Amino acid sequence: MNQFLAMGGYAAYVWPAYAIFLVVLLADALAPVLRRRRVLRELRGRLARQSARQQRHTDTATDA
Amino acid sequence: MSSWIPLWLHKLGSPPTFYRFAGKLRPWMLALAIVLGMIALYGGLVLAPPDYQQGDDYRIIFVHVPSAWMGLFIYGVMAVSAFIALVWRIKLAEVVAMESAPIGAAFTLITLVTGSLWGVRMWGTWWTWDARLTSELVLLFLYLGVIGLYHAFEDRRQGARAAAFLALIGIINVPIVHFSVNWWNTLHQGSTVRLFGPSTMSGSMIWPLLTMMVATKCYYAFSLCSRVRADLLALESGKDWVRQIAAEESAR
Amino acid sequence: MSQAPLGRACAAVLRRDLTLAWRRRGDIAMPVLYALIVTTLFPFALGPENALLQRIAGGAVLVTVLLAMLLALDGMFRSDIEDGSLEQLVLAPQPLALMLGMKILAHWLTTALPLIVIAPMLASMLQLPSTVIPVLLLALALATPMLSLLGAVLVALTAGTRRSGMLLALMLLPLCVPVVIFAAGALAAAQQGLPWIAPIAWLGAALALALVLAPLGCAAALRIALDA
Repeated sequence: MNQFLAMGGYAAYVWPAYAIFLVVLLADALAPVLRRRRVLRELRGRLARQSARQQRHTDTATDA
Repeated sequence: MSSWIPLWLHKLGSPPTFYRFAGKLRPWMLALAIVLGMIALYGGLVLAPPDYQQGDDYRIIFVHVPSAWMGLFIYGVMAVSAFIALVWRIKLAEVVAMESAPIGAAFTLITLVTGSLWGVRMWGTWWTWDARLTSELVLLFLYLGVIGLYHAFEDRRQGARAAAFLALIGIINVPIVHFSVNWWNTLHQGSTVRLFGPSTMSGSMIWPLLTMMVATKCYYAFSLCSRVRADLLALESGKDWVRQIAAEESAR
Repeated sequence: MSQAPLGRACAAVLRRDLTLAWRRRGDIAMPVLYALIVTTLFPFALGPENALLQRIAGGAVLVTVLLAMLLALDGMFRSDIEDGSLEQLVLAPQPLALMLGMKILAHWLTTALPLIVIAPMLASMLQLPSTVIPVLLLALALATPMLSLLGAVLVALTAGTRRSGMLLALMLLPLCVPVVIFAAGALAAAQQGLPWIAPIAWLGAALALALVLAPLGCAAALRIALDA
């Protein structure tokens, strides 16, 4: 196992290369997930505000 | 449009249909990418023998070379969908072109960093003005230009069309840059090293490389699906189908 | 609507742009001043050794001229977009590509030509041998129109955005790499006493291609960027 990790003395070059490959792709995969969550949150907020405004509108209409 | 294009392709072009299709495709592509990637890593890191000249250092190619291929491949996909977006003004093609750019930039960045990690021992320095490395850097700048132009516009669709035009200019430019950089490199004879000759790769090194190539293709499909889905939600936020999805998500 | 003949329309656009540039003569001097300042800084940064300066002179002058042009590129269509005259040009019955070609020509005459005129002086400040100066002028005469034409397409693309300075540099870099390589290659060959005609011929071929395609691309880009 240790021999495998040592990579014939090139561990300092081989493992960072693989780490960068994984880290960059992981970041790339996470970005759209976070973006989707943000978009949906904003959308729900807008819908909630819209329905609240409508509610108020109908309330005042029935009061009058 | 002409009748030889099957009907399902027309349907796929509509945002809600594509949203559902991408949602179904996404997990399969991710699973395939992970499984194939694991097999390729096992083959490349454990099974393949050390190179007789470079020792274990050459194992960087199992991520470096597939990433370099993906950098070019994704640029090709981006240019084709940019062309479709400009000629037929299909919204989905714009989204695919613009959401491909960050993935391509990510792969190009990986190529540059892993290439320079490999170069430390091959050339004795982190960076050298080798023809291939320089072309790759120019490719990264092309990607960044497309992304930057897209985000500089306030209107998303207008930005997408302008950036698509830039992507098309870029695809004419890529071979010219490659040719001129090669010419420049022969003019200033630096330390050019033939990385692999025609026959230095044995079969036990080639199959992990090809498997990794397929894995990165699947990963691209996965990432593109999730990016296009997120972008479609933002673009079509006024439409009913998006409201429905928002309501479903909050119910859960 | 009576249509003005093409030649008259071209001349009118050219004359208008040159008149506007002449009324703001200070702006013409800016790129020249910038190139002069950058060239002055090189010996301070690298030391005044003649041999060293001589080696970098060709490339340094070339890059300085390119950066000076980039500085002026940003404003190519800005005032026309702000006062709406560019939209009138888009609506005009004359072919837009030709009209834009005239605007690019006017821009080249007002920014690149002064730079070419002072280039021999900049080159001598950096000890470039006087035998190489004709090659430098030839290379600049072919490279600067290329940059103006390519830059015009990109400026047209950014016409719909508010800030574009840094973005323009980022987009222009991949396009001007080949231009710089061949122009500098000709200079390096001339300095070493080698035949320099091949890279100049490549530049000329590229310029011929750009002369035809860039105005068309510029027109298409402008239509995209202004189409709101």
